[in-house]
Amino acid sequence: MTGATIDHMISLTILIAALLVSMLIFNGLFAAAVDYDRNRQVANKAIDIMNTICLSPGSPIDWGETNDTLLGFGLQDPEVGGYTLSPYSIMRLNTGSSSGGSQIVYYPKTDSYYNNISANYGHGVLIPLGDCVNYTDAAELLGVNGTYGFSIDIIPILEVSVSQVPVSPPQNHLILKVDVRGSGLPLSGATLSYSLFHVGKGSTYPSIASYSGVNQTDSSGSAVIEFDEVDESNDAYSFIVYVSIGGVTGNGYYTHNTLGDDHQLVIPFIEDYDQGTVIIAHSWDVQGAGTPPVPEIKYNATFFALTSDFQFQQIEIVNSTGHLLYGWGNPYFVTQLPVSEVGLLVISYKRDATRMGTVIMPWGIGTLGVATSFDSGFGSSGYDFVATELRQVTINGVSYQLKVSTWSLSG
Amino acid sequence: MRTIEVLFVIVILLSAFLITTYFAVLPSPSQAFGTNLRELSQSTLETLDANGVLSATVFEDPNDPAWADLQRALSASLPPNMVYNLSIYDLTADSQGVVTYQLTNSISDASFGADSDAASLMVTSPNVTFTQDPQKVGESTGQNITMYILNCNDANGWWITGYTGQSLAEDVYNLLSPYFTTTVLLNSTADLQLLLENSPALEGTIENAVVVNTFGEAVPIPDDYCEGGSHESDGYSGGSYAKYFHTLGSLTRQHNWTWTSIVGYPFYYVTNTNYFDFAQNGYGIYGMEDVRTAGVNAFLQGLDGASYSYNDAGTAAGVGGVQFTSEALERCNYYGIYPFPNQTASRALNQSIEGIYHLDRFASVFKLKNGRIAAATFRHQDGSGALTAIGLTRIPDIRVTALALLMYYNPTVYKSEFGASGTSRLVTLQLGQQGGT
Repeated sequence: MTGATIDHMISLTILIAALLVSMLIFNGLFAAAVDYDRNRQVANKAIDIMNTICLSPGSPIDWGETNDTLLGFGLQDPEVGGYTLSPYSIMRLNTGSSSGGSQIVYYPKTDSYYNNISANYGHGVLIPLGDCVNYTDAAELLGVNGTYGFSIDIIPILEVSVSQVPVSPPQNHLILKVDVRGSGLPLSGATLSYSLFHVGKGSTYPSIASYSGVNQTDSSGSAVIEFDEVDESNDAYSFIVYVSIGGVTGNGYYTHNTLGDDHQLVIPFIEDYDQGTVIIAHSWDVQGAGTPPVPEIKYNATFFALTSDFQFQQIEIVNSTGHLLYGWGNPYFVTQLPVSEVGLLVISYKRDATRMGTVIMPWGIGTLGVATSFDSGFGSSGYDFVATELRQVTINGVSYQLKVSTWSLSG
Repeated sequence: MRTIEVLFVIVILLSAFLITTYFAVLPSPSQAFGTNLRELSQSTLETLDANGVLSATVFEDPNDPAWADLQRALSASLPPNMVYNLSIYDLTADSQGVVTYQLTNSISDASFGADSDAASLMVTSPNVTFTQDPQKVGESTGQNITMYILNCNDANGWWITGYTGQSLAEDVYNLLSPYFTTTVLLNSTADLQLLLENSPALEGTIENAVVVNTFGEAVPIPDDYCEGGSHESDGYSGGSYAKYFHTLGSLTRQHNWTWTSIVGYPFYYVTNTNYFDFAQNGYGIYGMEDVRTAGVNAFLQGLDGASYSYNDAGTAAGVGGVQFTSEALERCNYYGIYPFPNQTASRALNQSIEGIYHLDRFASVFKLKNGRIAAATFRHQDGSGALTAIGLTRIPDIRVTALALLMYYNPTVYKSEFGASGTSRLVTLQLGQQGGT
């Protein structure tokens, strides 16, 4: 009798232990399956968001070229289709609150804040914040507000860097070196199509003379370009280069001024996106910088439209020259760009006979190869699973990589 | 006894567990996602073909350098942890209509692991298009005629509202360059000076050339031909730049050019934004100085071989609406250029110039109205030099200029062809991620 009871107890204990072990193991399996399913949903959502952004122009389809209220979010270029993004829609993204985004700019004379999609040396696009699409609106239109977080990164595929090569006196002409890399590797045999906008003293207002040409990178992915007409240290200029090889295109730029620092004295703001009007402002009115403030600046603004073969064609614009003064009694100038043409607004200016500079504003994001990010500003840190989708796209014929990262806000 | 029974139960439980785990292989949660390689591959193919480069390359010989460029482009555009295999298949159909795929070329950078995906794109040879093969101007007479288009970046236009000289130069190039053996854009007044001085540094053949001025009523002038310049005597006399137009007329005669004025009053201004940087035409357009009505007279004097004599008699005037001639309508169909046949001529040349300057009129685009000619080509009776003048109102329609020149030279357009055999290829791009997903 006692033996049977002990037998029962042992067998029951072993049975319960076996059941517990089995349940734990199955529970682990089920948990992994649930996690997998949850992550799969995030991954599917990433693909869904990417396809919406890449393959839909949004609603209205030309929202990037107007001030219209956005009803559906998408960045595809409606005139081209496929994996081509609209250069204008991207300009309307509010990137000021994104992680890594440039600080928004306040201009007292219009009492407005401007979103800043900037490149180096102060060149970039400043758009009224009220015309921009913010992250929350985009998330709502994508149907993920409160459920999923996402970020968009638009990065040029080719890294094109331009540097000035020092020359030994008595030589003083300009020599520029262009380095082209892709995925970290130097790109040999790439075709370069370049333009240099040389700032001349002019009579009253500075002048802009353009020089263009073609070249090719050597085995180290570099090309050296010489300009006999330009003094390397005493002249101001802007240099833009488009690089193409095997269907991939990139661009880079370099500017030089004779002001003594990189502080720009003229700042262009987009006044009306729909009409293409651009404010040309004295920098002291914006930043209060420069001690003592530069009293007067004479500028010459020229718009160069970008053709399909990456050449620039000059287009006449109003108020192309002016005499900027700072302070409330002195109004800013307004010019107007052709809204249907992508290109560059090149503003050359002079403080006096020897101190001159140039600032570039791209009209259409691809013309200057600007990279940009669009997210909530908090990023994906703290979330243990982030799905990332990559696509190759073109903007103004320039090759970009579009990265969309997505995570679940429910943990 | 019960212990044995329990052991049986445990064996059954373990067996169930083992069987379940053997058949139900669950992936790791981290494997829930890898970049969608198929979509990335598709977007890569479309991006490479955005400018038609992929389509052009896959029809090249496998030893062509374009393949190396394509390989470099793929390596540059894909993330470093991606491997790829690009394969090209030629599509051929037999007499039964059965399509076969034959591998023609393949490029790859590494072998694939377990995870890869592919996308494909059907491309058509860039040679397969509806083509027109125009006869080159002058080909029938053994002449090598070059078209020079004034595209000077240091000049401004007038009477070309809505356009710039440069944009019109591009339009002229697109419309007419297929008809010329050589087309040269003169990108500055310095380039124009090379033409005026018959410089060997200039591309093309200067003799018998066509020169198209895209700046409307203004004509670019090199610095040296301006007052104080080294060629002042050829450009400036008695306070007027009409002398410059006399020089152009003389050169037109000397080299048997066909000088083309695309719109408005011919030779009404000279333009050079560097030299005339503070001069404007009275309507706010800087960089030009007016010559007015003396300009066209001076040009025609030069074309006639007469010496220069300042004459500001009005030669062009408005006649209102004008209509295409029947010849112009017929040539529209032939060349596939369709400007509107009813236009307004505000600067039509007087028919009297034909007698005064010994000109013969050819290729009239519009019917004669009130003794005035809205658009035609006037060739000197010596056969040396011609002027094509389009005296229409602004905004210019550059197609009228193209039509006028084609009517004058009358090149043949050969029948179009549409190739169909061996013209399509399938491009597949397989992508894989190194180091697992």
